[in-house]
Amino acid sequence: MSHIKIKKGHDIKISGLPEANIALAPAASVLALLPSDFKGVKPKLMVKIGDNVKIGSPIFFDKLNPDVKWASPGSGVIKDIKYGPRRVIEKIEIELDKSQESIDFKSHSMDDISNLSKSEVLEAILEANLFPHFRQRPFNTIPDHKIVPRDIFISGLNTAPLAVDLEIAMNDELENFQAGINAIGKLTDGNVYLTNKVNSRLSNIKNVKINTIEGPHPSGNVSIQVHHISHLKPAEFIWTINPQDVVMLGKFFTNGIYDPSKIISVAGPCVKDPTHLRIKTGYPLEPLLKANLLSDDVRMISGDVLTGRECSLNDYISFYDSSVSVISNEIKREFIGMLNPGSSFSRYSLTPVFFSLSKMLFPFTSSQNGNHRSVVPINSWERVLPMDILPNELYRSIIAEDVEEMESLGLFECDDEDFALCSFACPSKTDVSGVIRRGLDILQAEV
Amino acid sequence: MNWLLNYLLKIKPNFDEGQKLSWLYPLYEATETILFSTDAKTKSAPHIRDSIDIKRVMILVVVTLIPCYVFGAMNVGYQNALSFGLERTWIENLIFGAKTIIPIIVVTFIAGAFWEILFAIVRKHEISEGFLVTCALIPLTMPPSIPLWQLFIATSFGIVIGKEIFGGVGMNIFNPALTARCFIFFSYPSKISGDMVWLVGPDGYSGATALSVPASTKSGDAVSLLEGITQFDYSWMNLASGWIPGSIGETNKFIIFLAAVVLMLMKLISWRVILGGVSGLFAMSYIGTLIAPFSDNSMLSIPPHYHLVMGSFAFGLTFMATEPVTGSHTDTGRLIYGFLIGALTVIIRSINPAYPEGVMLAILLMNAFASLIDYFVVKVNISKRMARYA
Repeated sequence: MSHIKIKKGHDIKISGLPEANIALAPAASVLALLPSDFKGVKPKLMVKIGDNVKIGSPIFFDKLNPDVKWASPGSGVIKDIKYGPRRVIEKIEIELDKSQESIDFKSHSMDDISNLSKSEVLEAILEANLFPHFRQRPFNTIPDHKIVPRDIFISGLNTAPLAVDLEIAMNDELENFQAGINAIGKLTDGNVYLTNKVNSRLSNIKNVKINTIEGPHPSGNVSIQVHHISHLKPAEFIWTINPQDVVMLGKFFTNGIYDPSKIISVAGPCVKDPTHLRIKTGYPLEPLLKANLLSDDVRMISGDVLTGRECSLNDYISFYDSSVSVISNEIKREFIGMLNPGSSFSRYSLTPVFFSLSKMLFPFTSSQNGNHRSVVPINSWERVLPMDILPNELYRSIIAEDVEEMESLGLFECDDEDFALCSFACPSKTDVSGVIRRGLDILQAEV
Repeated sequence: MNWLLNYLLKIKPNFDEGQKLSWLYPLYEATETILFSTDAKTKSAPHIRDSIDIKRVMILVVVTLIPCYVFGAMNVGYQNALSFGLERTWIENLIFGAKTIIPIIVVTFIAGAFWEILFAIVRKHEISEGFLVTCALIPLTMPPSIPLWQLFIATSFGIVIGKEIFGGVGMNIFNPALTARCFIFFSYPSKISGDMVWLVGPDGYSGATALSVPASTKSGDAVSLLEGITQFDYSWMNLASGWIPGSIGETNKFIIFLAAVVLMLMKLISWRVILGGVSGLFAMSYIGTLIAPFSDNSMLSIPPHYHLVMGSFAFGLTFMATEPVTGSHTDTGRLIYGFLIGALTVIIRSINPAYPEGVMLAILLMNAFASLIDYFVVKVNISKRMARYA
């Protein structure tokens, strides 16, 4: 076990922090799967409108890897399948019935799990259509299950703004978490790494290599942890999975059913009662937010404010997201704002160019706070990227589409979410994370 | 101010695509976003953004230049009074100086704004606020006696050749303000080469600048040569506090030091460039003092702390060398880049017989080499990574 100290980065002090309790979620009648949540997947439907499904029934599979299927998070009837431009499947809506029946799989005792072989665990997960919960690095896509990962990394802390507090979410689930860890430990010949904050509830988990990390966001991001624990080299693959999904797998192996529930946070400056809630995967936003907004003109985000996806009220929470954030869309235009000395109420900056103490929680809006300009490198990116990576040079190599250069500058080790703070802090309002994503796509197409 | 915003928003449709005035959109956009903070919203993640923008960065640099302007104006008046043998109060000096430098500022801004707006309209991009800093810097690097037509041409050259032909702020290779000064330096050397003092005084009035004193005498000790000058007070303290003839904004080193500290605290300029620059200057001038006894070049005998306050080194290092776009982009690179600027300044001052001042050429030369420095820093980073992968 080692302790990692991160200095670079920043915890954005945004207002509307979720309360430290788990509230009852308002009932929902429809759940949905959004195939666009999965990068690089070519979805092929296995159901049609009107079909009956149970919890765990396969809904669609990946044409590029037909073994990987997606499980229905609810039991009921396929209500609608919505297509976007060029017949891209946008969402598959499932109208829930009262029974909420699950498909039964084999259940195991703790000892049974320990005696399972690698192929037994993998087949069980694939058969139950739960494999998409794993993601790989590089590229942050669903892994190829035929390649054995070098290691599996689990981040035991969320550092993103307004994220779920895992200490709260995992409190009653430690046994299931342990069961899940025991199962997924079979999938790699290397180690399962769990990175926690100091004095975490998760520090007594067995069969993992535990490291502790302290420091600001993005210290909770998997790529940052991988970078500091054991570098990802070219042609190596590691898998990663959210702790709540490990709990889900633990329940699956011990009880033999798929439990699609998870704890999320609903928070942000425009949420009336910011709190933690227990919901099911693919939950609609409307019951969570309709009567819970402080203003009419808001931006609703599935995920956190740094990396999430803009949504409307009749949208659904993305597959991997465990938070819903709401910020105001109302932007105040100040007269000669650029000369305003600023205050803790009006400005929030990582560069000390305003008179603000930035100790207060700040009600961020969707304002870009400036117009897009060419990059003026005053080190605002470097100060929030805790990796041995030269972000400016990496950015330039991607703009120039120089594949060899981006590879040697360490793009393999990065994910776009690690650069979200760079975009946040950039005075030129450059979309750094978007460019990193583009670079990863180019690199993935090459290999 | 709501009426003004409403008025601007009311006339905005006239500048839309397809309208008669659409070619003036960059001008409209600049007016609107200078008068009122932008209403642009984030289009993709991250959905929230830091309050800083390039406008704020640039305007703060301009604000830190204001004390240089005020002192510059006073000094112009003071030098004028000195040359005529007049007694004047500081306020009279300030008024006299202001009368001299305001036309210089106005001409610079007219030339700068003209080219910036022209390029924005022709190339259909937004007007970049970087020209504010360029135009605020150019007058400070000029002698108060500069003919305004020369200034107009130099500013045009600096903005167009130094910046716009590369694509504007963020793409330029050379510091545009220094490019402008360099243009005058080589085109009209009689006005600006730095061997004779520049001040607004009687016709034919002349004298040696601090740097040209040791440059023009063989086998002397620089400090005693400077102390031997009676026309101006070239003591260390007076060289630092700036009551000497020189370019408008560069003479008072205390004000410049203060501005550097403020800019470093605001993290707008890199302390690495400053540290590198001062170390380079000290190291090279120390080496010079070691060689001085074996040479008849009196410039070599200038002690390091004198180098720091002579000429425009302090001004150039603080406001020109630290310019983030044209300097090195890596932290290690910035140290090397700064160090070489400091060292080269001393080399040009001491060894080059033609120009007693070297900081402008040192910075421009290092601008050209900044990418090369970065290239090696990047190579080191890559080879370290490859060693980890192996």
